[in-house]
Amino acid sequence: MNKDVLIVVPAYNEEKNIENTIKDIKENTAYDYVIINDCSTDSTKQICEKNKFNLITLPINSGLSNVIRLGMKYAYEEGYQIVLQFDGDGQHEAKYINILVDEIKNNNCDIAIGSRFLEEKKKKNIRMIGSKLISLAIKLTTGITIKDPTSGMRAYGKKAIYEFNKNLHLAPEPETLVYMIKNNITIKEIQVKMKERQYGASYLTSLKSIEYMLDTLFSIFFIRNRRSKKEK
Amino acid sequence: MSITLRIILIIGSIILFLLCLKKMRKSELKITNGVMWMFGSLILILMSIFSDAVGIISQKIGFMAPVNFVFLIIILFLLIQVFLMNLKIVVLTDKINQINQYIVLMKTKLEKDGEDHK
Repeated sequence: MNKDVLIVVPAYNEEKNIENTIKDIKENTAYDYVIINDCSTDSTKQICEKNKFNLITLPINSGLSNVIRLGMKYAYEEGYQIVLQFDGDGQHEAKYINILVDEIKNNNCDIAIGSRFLEEKKKKNIRMIGSKLISLAIKLTTGITIKDPTSGMRAYGKKAIYEFNKNLHLAPEPETLVYMIKNNITIKEIQVKMKERQYGASYLTSLKSIEYMLDTLFSIFFIRNRRSKKEK
Repeated sequence: MSITLRIILIIGSIILFLLCLKKMRKSELKITNGVMWMFGSLILILMSIFSDAVGIISQKIGFMAPVNFVFLIIILFLLIQVFLMNLKIVVLTDKINQINQYIVLMKTKLEKDGEDHK
């Protein structure tokens, strides 16, 4: 088996989307994938087992961050070179996977972000204002422009996977990008298209998104805005 | 301060002290956490017995009323407790997550090995 790229598909209550997502991945790429089921309460697990998908099920529901951390750990232990985060909710299109992965393989960058707004303009709604604020915060602290910091479609190279395994508190969130930039990891954005959610609810609801914004901005300015200490 | 109020305070703080001691003996309360509570209830007992001294001290420091001084001490004590509790919760959450990951990875490995043997 070629242990090159691992596609991590976090899934929480995605019984309606997961089958199409995996089909999409299988049709477009030959890379290994793993679904990480965050202790779903619906039949996500049964569907995956029925279709013989490569599945990992967490015994306790522990949130998206921990799911990605687990994916990183899994990839690290199994010796994968690149991890690609690909949402199981049907928003992402698998035809862009190869573009992101090639970008890292050609040593252009350590993290490739599938960006919705690299060439296209942002729509004007509250979510996009939040996204702009985070972009501005990243620009202020690191000097680097990231147009779509909240994108859930990212490819991580070897260095980034190592960082994730070294620092247990990194999450797949914008503040981690700041941390990565401060630790000399290069980031590049690639234009992709995303669909609207097909079924089910997202992790982020309205009240939570305010909390999310506060947490993220605070973290960018005060916590991740410095180099990590050298290993003891 | 009236005698009845004083007696109530003394009895209350002694009950808290004894409760801590009892829980620690039954090891429902860890010694390290319990010592902090013992310390707190000891302060309460001392303050209720020597309430006149508390009054004098608070006046010397410059509090408007002794009751402010007493509340300040108790609030400080509680703040420290909550803060320490928060630190502990973070450590526990990390540990749970690590165990969670460990269990999952082990389980997947075992299942894979099982399939290979078949």
